[in-house]
Amino acid sequence: MKKGILLIAVALLLASSLVAVGCPRPVLEEPPVEPIRLGAVNPLGDITGRQSAQGMKLAVAEINAAGGILGRPLELIVMDDEFSPAVGAAAIEKLATVHEVDIFIGGMASGVHLAQIPILAKHGRVTVWIGAASHLVEAAIAALPDHDWYFHLHPWDYQQVEGTVEGWAAIVEKFPQIRLDRMFVAYEEGAFGAAGFAISRALFADVTIEGESFTSAVFGGGDFRAVLRHAKEFNPDAFVWVGFDPDALGMMVQAKEIGFAPPVFLGTPPGWPVGFGEIPLSEAVWLYGMWSPELKGVSPEAAHFWWAFIEKFGEEPATYFAPLGYVNVKFVAAGIERAGTLERGPLIEALREVRFEDTAVGWPLTIAPSRLIRHQGFTRQMILQWQGGRQEVIWPFEVATAEPIFPFPRWEDR
Amino acid sequence: MRNWRYIVYIVVISLAISFPFYAGVHPIHVATTILSLLALALSWDILLRGGQLSLGVSAFFGIGSYTTVLTHLNWEVSPLLSIVLGGLAAGVVALVIGLAVLRLRGLYFAIVTLALTFIFIVIVRNLTDLTGGAIGKLIPSVIFGGDPAMIYWLTLAIAVATIITSEIFQKTRIHFALTSIRNNEIAAKSSGIDIFKYLLFAFVVTAVIQGVVGGVHAQRFAFVSPEESFSLTFTILPLAMCLLGGSFSTLGSVIGAGGLGVLAEYLRLMMPRGHLAIYGLVMVMAILLMPKGIVGTIREQLVRRKTASS
Repeated sequence: MKKGILLIAVALLLASSLVAVGCPRPVLEEPPVEPIRLGAVNPLGDITGRQSAQGMKLAVAEINAAGGILGRPLELIVMDDEFSPAVGAAAIEKLATVHEVDIFIGGMASGVHLAQIPILAKHGRVTVWIGAASHLVEAAIAALPDHDWYFHLHPWDYQQVEGTVEGWAAIVEKFPQIRLDRMFVAYEEGAFGAAGFAISRALFADVTIEGESFTSAVFGGGDFRAVLRHAKEFNPDAFVWVGFDPDALGMMVQAKEIGFAPPVFLGTPPGWPVGFGEIPLSEAVWLYGMWSPELKGVSPEAAHFWWAFIEKFGEEPATYFAPLGYVNVKFVAAGIERAGTLERGPLIEALREVRFEDTAVGWPLTIAPSRLIRHQGFTRQMILQWQGGRQEVIWPFEVATAEPIFPFPRWEDR
Repeated sequence: MRNWRYIVYIVVISLAISFPFYAGVHPIHVATTILSLLALALSWDILLRGGQLSLGVSAFFGIGSYTTVLTHLNWEVSPLLSIVLGGLAAGVVALVIGLAVLRLRGLYFAIVTLALTFIFIVIVRNLTDLTGGAIGKLIPSVIFGGDPAMIYWLTLAIAVATIITSEIFQKTRIHFALTSIRNNEIAAKSSGIDIFKYLLFAFVVTAVIQGVVGGVHAQRFAFVSPEESFSLTFTILPLAMCLLGGSFSTLGSVIGAGGLGVLAEYLRLMMPRGHLAIYGLVMVMAILLMPKGIVGTIREQLVRRKTASS
């Protein structure tokens, strides 16, 4: 019995040895390729931050599908800043020390970014930021002994206003029926609105400007009747409100209630409420923005982004931070490709040289100095108008998608 | 048994002091934030022991932040001294306001202290030349050159000082005065307790702590703005921490701050999206199931067992 078992065991051993000899020898596996790590910090509870992260993921997926950069895949690590300076600063520290990211990207609120700057400066890694428009952020960066590592793609607040000054001058010249001699600015009383009003007053030098603050619906306000009545008494050529998306509907309904329909009615929230374009009150409302969905008709990059985003996520991009997040990663990837390395010096040089003739936001992108820092990307925003539920581009004329509706139609005609 | 308690204290304090030597930079950063919130939670609880529910933590935090930045910028006061001045300014404001508002009780006091935050936001926004208005002010560099360990130790020192203050309030006759005011104000008054004096003292001391924490926060992040420095987060989060850990005790706020702080970080790690919803759910469930907080519930259970066994 024991002999039988022994024979079977020997036979099995021989058989398995023969099989092993007959099989191809295992090839020694190459060590795994270390990914290039991008660390992003966004407010993920908000549509701007969420869609910005989606835009980044789309770009990373496309780049990795095409073989990565320098033969290495991109890895994106996104952290939530919860709109909190302390959380946003801790996120940068974690990305730097735990995840050991190569490059920082992302961004949204200026208040959060101000708290992140000391930590970013301590690590000194290349940072390409797409949020934080406040000139206070620019001053904080410029105050650092070295800020070569910092690239800012979003226009600064004063650049946005400079752009609109230029845009309105062009619009008034092309459409002489539009006048802009008197402007009333209703601004939310926080940093966003106050900065908007102060800069507008400084830059629209030839325009008589009056303004009044209001409490945004975001902070418990929402009754704009007093400020709207003040504006109506001023009888402006243009009424501009600087607030947030929850203010939009209230502003329109209450303007209608008091019969205030100035020739130009303009709102500048960072995003618009979902479905705003579908209500009749939105028709012919002007707005500022870095991007419009309608650009897919004039910009190949914007069109590519639009359809790729919908295909990947099953929803439409609803905020300019979606294409901006996409551009953020594409810009970094182009810089790494150009530098051929992740070393700081050559990478900074290469990023400085990156030029896109067209981008997902519909604008060309080049890096040039701003007032205080060396590496600024986009410098302008567009002048748009709600028409038939769409945000049509009125200016710049090179990418215009429609002619303006002027004057603002009477409320009873809607 | 008593000696064991001191051994535990020594071990905990040694671990806390040596934390930067064995932890990474990110945990140090998180621990610094937790210690700040611990000091705020405990300071809020100290006043609550006298029956006064203050919702003005953000107001004194913001006053401390602004005083620190403005004295540092305008008079070139050293960062550490500017933090002390931040605390003192908050204390002086509390003294002046306390003279008026400490006559109020219950919801009236809570609403008035809540309103303080908004009043100071309006003041700061309108003193544009001094405070930078709605946009705020920057300081050129972070305290200690941004060294996370040094900032941690500074915050730890403030948290320990707050814990000691809380224990002093618990172990001296102030404790009896505040407890009697909370339980039965008329009886306390009949017993000869100067209610107003004790409440004013507690209000000023807690405001100083809140101002100092605000000053450190401003020096740590090198900027102030009305929305950030007077954010209601600095009232709501410490309040939640104290309620979760258990009010009317030092240990409650320590456990609440540590527990919620670590939980928030863990959830953030486990689910980058949606962690705030779970965090909120945990807080609601904990407060529903343990209305006396963790410490209060454990104490209640211990007393119940003791009574049952005897």
